[in-house]
This record gives sequence, structure tokens and C-alpha cells, in this order.
Amino acid sequence: MTRLILSTSNIVMGGSSIVRQPGTDKSNFELTNSLRANFVAAQEDYSPPQSETSGNTPTFGSANGAEAEKTRPQLSIWTTREGSDYYVPTIDWSLSGVQEEPSQYEITVKLFYLPGASIQERAKYTKDAVELVLKELKIQTIDLLIISFHGLTFDGDCEWRADKINASQGNDEEEIQSWAAVEELHSQGIVKRLGLAEYGSEKLSKFLESVKVPPQVDQINLKDCCNVPPPLIQLAKAKGIELLTHRDCTDILPKGTLREILGQGPQGAGLLSVSKRGLDGMKGEITPQWVVKYTAVVRDRGVIENKGYFAVAELAE
Amino acid sequence: MGLLALGTPLQWSEAKENAAHVRAWGIEQLLAIWNAAKGKEGEALLWGDEIEYFVVNYGEEDEKVTLSLRQADILTALASDEKLKTEGGCVPALQDVVAETSDAPLPIFHPEFGRFMLEATPGRPWGIGFKDLLDVESNMRLRRKIAKEHMYPEEYPITLTTYPRLGSPGVFTAPYYPPSGENLRSQFVPDEIANPHIRFPTLAANIRARRGRKVQVNVPIFKDKNTAWPWKDPTVNYDLFKWPEDDDVRNGAAPDNFIHMDAMAFGMGSCCLQITFQAKNIREGRQMYDQLSPLGPIMLALTAATPIYKGFLADTDVRWNQISNAVDDRTPEELGETPLKHARWRIPKSRYASNSTYISEDPRLRKEYFDPNLIIDPDVKQKLMDGGMDSLLATHFAHLFIRDPIVIFAEDLKELDLTKTDHFENLQSTNWQHMRFKPPPAGSDIGWRVEFRPMEIQVTDFENAAFSVFMVLITRAILSFDLNFYIPIAKVDENMATAHHRNAVLEKKFWFRKNPFPTRLPRPYSSNGSRSGTATPNTISRPPTPIGPVEDEYALMTIEEIMNGGRDGENTFPGLIPLVESYLDSMNVDVETRCEFASYLNLIRKRADGRLWTAAKWIREFVGGHEDYKEDSAVSDKINHDLIGAVIKLDGGERGWVFNVDKFLG
Repeated sequence: MTRLILSTSNIVMGGSSIVRQPGTDKSNFELTNSLRANFVAAQEDYSPPQSETSGNTPTFGSANGAEAEKTRPQLSIWTTREGSDYYVPTIDWSLSGVQEEPSQYEITVKLFYLPGASIQERAKYTKDAVELVLKELKIQTIDLLIISFHGLTFDGDCEWRADKINASQGNDEEEIQSWAAVEELHSQGIVKRLGLAEYGSEKLSKFLESVKVPPQVDQINLKDCCNVPPPLIQLAKAKGIELLTHRDCTDILPKGTLREILGQGPQGAGLLSVSKRGLDGMKGEITPQWVVKYTAVVRDRGVIENKGYFAVAELAE
Repeated sequence: MGLLALGTPLQWSEAKENAAHVRAWGIEQLLAIWNAAKGKEGEALLWGDEIEYFVVNYGEEDEKVTLSLRQADILTALASDEKLKTEGGCVPALQDVVAETSDAPLPIFHPEFGRFMLEATPGRPWGIGFKDLLDVESNMRLRRKIAKEHMYPEEYPITLTTYPRLGSPGVFTAPYYPPSGENLRSQFVPDEIANPHIRFPTLAANIRARRGRKVQVNVPIFKDKNTAWPWKDPTVNYDLFKWPEDDDVRNGAAPDNFIHMDAMAFGMGSCCLQITFQAKNIREGRQMYDQLSPLGPIMLALTAATPIYKGFLADTDVRWNQISNAVDDRTPEELGETPLKHARWRIPKSRYASNSTYISEDPRLRKEYFDPNLIIDPDVKQKLMDGGMDSLLATHFAHLFIRDPIVIFAEDLKELDLTKTDHFENLQSTNWQHMRFKPPPAGSDIGWRVEFRPMEIQVTDFENAAFSVFMVLITRAILSFDLNFYIPIAKVDENMATAHHRNAVLEKKFWFRKNPFPTRLPRPYSSNGSRSGTATPNTISRPPTPIGPVEDEYALMTIEEIMNGGRDGENTFPGLIPLVESYLDSMNVDVETRCEFASYLNLIRKRADGRLWTAAKWIREFVGGHEDYKEDSAVSDKINHDLIGAVIKLDGGERGWVFNVDKFLG
């Protein structure tokens, strides 16, 4: 069993992958593109320099498929195995950290539990995700941790309807159970505020009745953020919950997408084998477990200094 | 606003003799600020907007609208309002204003050049908290409301760039004063049009005196179906002999097919929307100055609101060049009209013009971007560099200091006070470029600031808030994503000219950088495979950046492409609005704020793609559709009355009745 730890490094100056695509309400474009871009970048950076004269570095994220296959460096050059953990790409922790005093930042972390991953393991996932982020940013605390359960949406023809549909989505019991691990981080003082994503009024009120530490934020994705369902507005107001907007999809890293990102195709990292006897990549069943997104914003200047993702998947070899 | 200290102003003949003196002391003061403040660090984002109004007398039944010259009375009324006094006061020019004591300090009102004008700013600077951004619009409304409450019932504060019939024959001010006064010597406007504070008449008179003739503000006339052609401005009087300057029109100052104006008030009487940002440190200030500069002409065209001058439809849509001409103090030698004999150099631009320098210590700043025609004073530059300033910034100030100080007070020449910045500001604040790089004021805890100056004032507070908030958000996107908008300064100049064309927002193309994204910083490589433990993000060495020809970096784009992004495969520019939205996507924004931002961004998006009209277009359509309009380019008293009436209605409950309001504001 191998745990794949995929990372994007800081994407905020990463160029076009951070720009939203026209016409999309929500997407995982930012995650998938910045993963790909970081793989290409790491392959370049960790490979021995070519002769001084060929300063013609390929542009970010645009490696041509056929060419990439020919020139793709060996995995050992740009990835690292540490026990059962496999870092794709290798993380140079000496480059991590924020530039100013940690108190200057508002750190927001959003954790996506992915479908197909173990519900029982969520406590561990939560701990692992937060640990990775703390290590990457070299900080001790997180201002806001938002949990995104899969299967929740705010889709519908009108806001009332979206709220109604939302009520029957997800699995309240499992979600409430998973919350204990999040509360733990809160009571340890590692996380200051807790939040949920995509919770409609019904789910939210049930949730509030059942948890010890209530969420202070509900992050919702509406087609038009001016049409928040009134029951949700009232509930949020009554319970002191801030309604924030976002544009992530909840199933942010489907298995097929992950296979493609890691696979042998033109856009792939060349890490997974296509077939059992095909190429020299790794083989086996891959299961995405969770994705965490982190953002460090310089509080009183509104400047995003660091933003990135970790995605973790299990590979049964 | 600049300097309001009272004193004895020097006439031009004396001021001229003391120009070098003021410059030398100004440089000393600049070096003192530089040395004291170059290390300032960690300032928060604070920003402020400035809204300018003109005040009209308007009655529904009375066809005659006039400009109210009661600026001083209105400010006095604001200053002596007991209730406002207890809330801290709001007219710093007339009273001590205490802003810190209150959570929501009163807006601040200032005098302006035109005696018919008012300026209002928020009571304290805004921050980046999104709640602050939500307050901008309501604060702008509050400013308008408070101003209106201290006027006569028939007086209204109006946010149009120019009063459409300023300088038209007959009565256009209340009270009425005849034109042809000693200071302006204008055929069209009286001296009393300017704020009577001694600084302003002196500024106007000395600009005229330095120039050696009146300023010439000529705007091409819009040629309509019945417009005579060639068109001769019917309001020009060729038979005046009161002042020597009355010869100007006989010597060709008023060419055919141009609306002719002859005084500073035609330019400096315009209302603008200006935004000032405080930077984290000088480095960030210099970065913002450079990166916002190429946006100047784009935002000018997008906010176009100036289609009428002196009672005629113009063939241009924006105010910029008129202000530029209205304060152009260059002599014939400096203009290149006569050989250089006394002047030190020829000067390609007016004191009011688009930027001529880039100043950022940014490795992406290529020498090809600099203005090849930049004029600097080499002695000033040397002095600044001797004082420790780097060449890039020294060049910037050595360029600003090619000008003469226009208004000099005799009292200020006695002693150099290095704790003050008056002499430096004398030059700095009379260089009206589209960006201004502002050192911290002496003895304050304010940081380095950058002012964005090209935007035209908008008719409603909703629009003014929209453009202000947009500018704040785009600066945050620039800093977060390390965006690069550099193009050669010559191309920015060209864009500035392009922005003047009628309907440039939809019909013209502007030079813009194709790829605004930074090149990636590589990780440090070490051959033994171990990671260099000492490297920090700050010390990574840059790779040799592949440099192609500068010409490949930019292309002609429509405003729509620049704002909303390129649509075809060839133009991959992401668009300023998608960049702002991507920034917001990464921030924690509550639904209410995001909803408000969405309405602002929608307005701007639709102005850029033509679904909504600029104010210039709305005004043109209003005039064109008016029963009194004879398709001869003339904007009569009656049309003017109804236009002002419509503008007043836009602010109130009768908005739905206003002509084409849905095409204008959505």
C-alpha cells in the first residue's frame, strides 16, 4: 500500500492555471492544471541543467505530449519515496513557509473528503491534511478550516429548490461523525474557526443540533450569489454563521482524472502504467482520498501570498 | 488639492527668477523625505477615492440652468452646521476636523479650482476589509446627501465631468460676472469662475504669462447632418481689444472645425474620479505605479463621459486632452514652434499628460519600454543620486523637475525647512500625470502612495463605487499574481490619444500586453540530489529569462478583450475582470459582498462589450433624441436643462423615467 502525496507548490504566481475559465460556475480546473504544471516544473528543475546555451525552457504547463514522453526524466529524479509515502513531486521543504510574521496572515484551509475513500479514516485524513499544510506554510495555527463533504450541491432552477434538493444530499450521520476530528483540532487551538461547505438550511440546522463545536462559516456555491435561499439566510443570521462564496466542485478529484494526471498519456506524469506489462511505471488500483486547499492572505493588504493544494491517494500495488 | 498656505504670491516675472531656487530646495526636501522614509515597511493597504462635483441651479420650470458660484458659502454652511461640528466637522479648510474619535467619521469636503466645484472624500481612508468596500457606495451617497443639505433647494451637486454650457454666450453662472477679466483674459469665462483663493488665480495667470499667450483648448466639433462645414465656432469674438491676448484668435488660435476655449477653467473645471493607494513599502509603490500605468488609457476610454463643450457636441468622448491644453504653460520654444534660445529644452508633453517614466525595480522592466523622448534635468538627477537615490527614481523626479514652479509665495523663500515638503510639492503637485507617485508627507505615519488619475467621474454613485472598487481589486490581483502589464511608454501615450475618439470604448483598439503572467521561479538545483537547506524563496536566483523582441509582447486589442478576455485562439489575454474574479475566488468573500461586487463587475463588463452605454454615449443619445436638437451639434439651453434634469432624476426615485436608463445603467 502506497500513499501518493501530490502537491502543486505555490500556485499564486503560477500563471494561467489560477485564472477561472469563462463560462464555468465551478470546476477543478485550478487543481488539475496546477498539479500538471507543477509536475512539469519539477521535472525541469530537478533534472541536471542542460548546457548553458540552451536557455530555452519550455513554458509552464505546455509540454507537448509526444515530446514529453521522449524527454520525460526518470521518476527518481523528481519524485521521492519515504517509507510508504510517495511524494509527487519531491517537496523541497526548505522552500516552504510564508514571508512575514505568521500573525500577518489569514490562513484558510479547505479539506475535501472524496467519494470512495474510507469514512472511518476521515479523522486521520483530517490530521494528515492539516499537518501537511502547517509544514508547508511553516505556521502553527489555521484561521479557518472548511470541510467539504462529497455529494452536496446547490444546484436547482431556483434558490428554494436548490435548498430543498440539498436537504436530501450527503449522509448526515457520517458527516456529523466525521466532525469530531475537526472539533479536536479546534479544541487543541490549531484551528480557530470551523466551517462547512455546501450546507443548505435543513442539513445545517440538523448539523448544528448534533455537534459540540458549531461551524462559524458555511461556504456555498450559487449560480447567482445574490439569490441565497431565504431560509438559509435566516438560519445563518440567527446562529451567527457567515455565508461565504466559493467556486470549487465537491468531487474535486475523480479517480479517472487522477489516473489521467498520473498516467502515460500526453498530459500525464508518466507515473502509472497503462497495463500490467506496459511501461515501467507503478501499477495497481488508485483511490483518491482527500484534497486540501490552503490559502495564505496578508490580512491588512488583501494580497494572496501563498495558495496551493495537496492531494492524497492510495495505491494498492 | 495641493497647497493652500496663504501668503504673497509672486507674479510670473518674479516667480521665474526664483524657479531654480524653489527647485533646489524642493530637491533638498525630497532627499530628506527619501532618506527618512525609504525604509518604511509593512504599511497596510489604505486607499481613498475623491469625488468631484459641480453645483448647478436647476428648476424644473426654468429653462435656464446656471452654475452656482457659491462654493465658499456651501463650505461655510457645512463648517458651521452645529450637528456636523459635534460629529467631528467636515471642512478641514475652515475648521479643525477630528476624525479619529468616531467609528464612522463624516466625509470631508474640500474646495476645488472651479468656484462652482466641490470635492468630497471619505472621512478616513478605506482598508481592504470587504466590509469597507461595501461601504464605499453608501458613503458616496452620504457625501452627496450632506452636500445637498447645505445648498439652496434649487442647487444640486452633479457628477458630470464638465458643465455642458460652460463658456457659452450669455448667462451661465449665478451670480453673473462678465468675461474678459485680468487674470484669465478669457473671452468666454469670467475671472470669478475660479476659486478666489489667491493660489488659483495666480496659477491661471502665471500659466498664461509663462506661456506668453492664453491657453488654447480646441476640441474637434462633432459633424452632424446639419452642422455647417467647415464649422466656425460662432461664439468666438474676433473684435475684442481689451487685452493683448485678445489677438490670439486673430492669430489663428481658433481653427475651423474646432470648439475653441481659452482658459484654465475649461480644463481644471472638470470633475474626475481619482483613487490613491498606500503601498506596503516603496518597492510595492513603485511596482503599482508601473503596473497601473498601462491601465490608464483603458480606464479613461471605459469611463468616457465628456461629449459636450461650451454648448456643442464634440467629436471626442473624454476630458483628458482639454485639461492638458488648459494648463499647458510651455513657451513657443519649448513647444518647438520657434528655435531654442532661452528655454533649456523642448518639452514633448504638457504638465498634464500621460506618464513618461517607469520606476519599478522589477527585472521585467526592459529598457525598450522607456520613453525615448524623456526630458530630464541632468543636474537634478545627479544631485538626487549623490544623495543616495537610485538612478531609476532619480530619473523620474529629474523629469518632473524640468518644470518651473508656477505659484511661489514670497514668504516661503526666506528659509529652507527640511521638515516640510512645500517646495517639493510645489513641483510634484503641478505635474499632473495620469499616475502620481507620492512620498509620505513630512512628519506623518503615512506610507508611500500611488494615485490613479485618469478616470472620468461617473453620473451616479453606483458607477463611481463600481470603478473605485474595481481599481482596488485589480491592484490586489496585480500584487497577488505578480502580473506584468508592461508595454513601451510610447504605446501608452498612443493609447491615451486613442482613448479620445468618439466611442473609442467599442470602436478602437489599444496596445496591451498579451501575456500578463510572471515566468515561473525554478527550484534551486543541486547535483548530488540533496536539497540546499539554506535557500529561501527570496534568494532563488532567476534563470536567464528568454527575451524575445519587445514587439512580440503586445498587440492591439479592443477594450472588451482587455476587460473580459480574448475570445479567439489568437488572443489569449485572460481579461482584467476574470483576473479580478480569480482573485476573489481565492478570498473569503461573504455572499452579500460578492453580490455587490458582481453588480459592479457586471456594469464594467457590459460597458466594455457595449451592452451598456458609457455616459458619453448616453449624453449623445439624449441630445440627439431631444426635440430641441437641430442636428447641428448645438446643445441649447433647453437641451442642457433637460439633460441636467435627467441627471438629477438618476439620483432619485424617478430614475425609471429617465431616457434610456436601462441602456445606460442596466
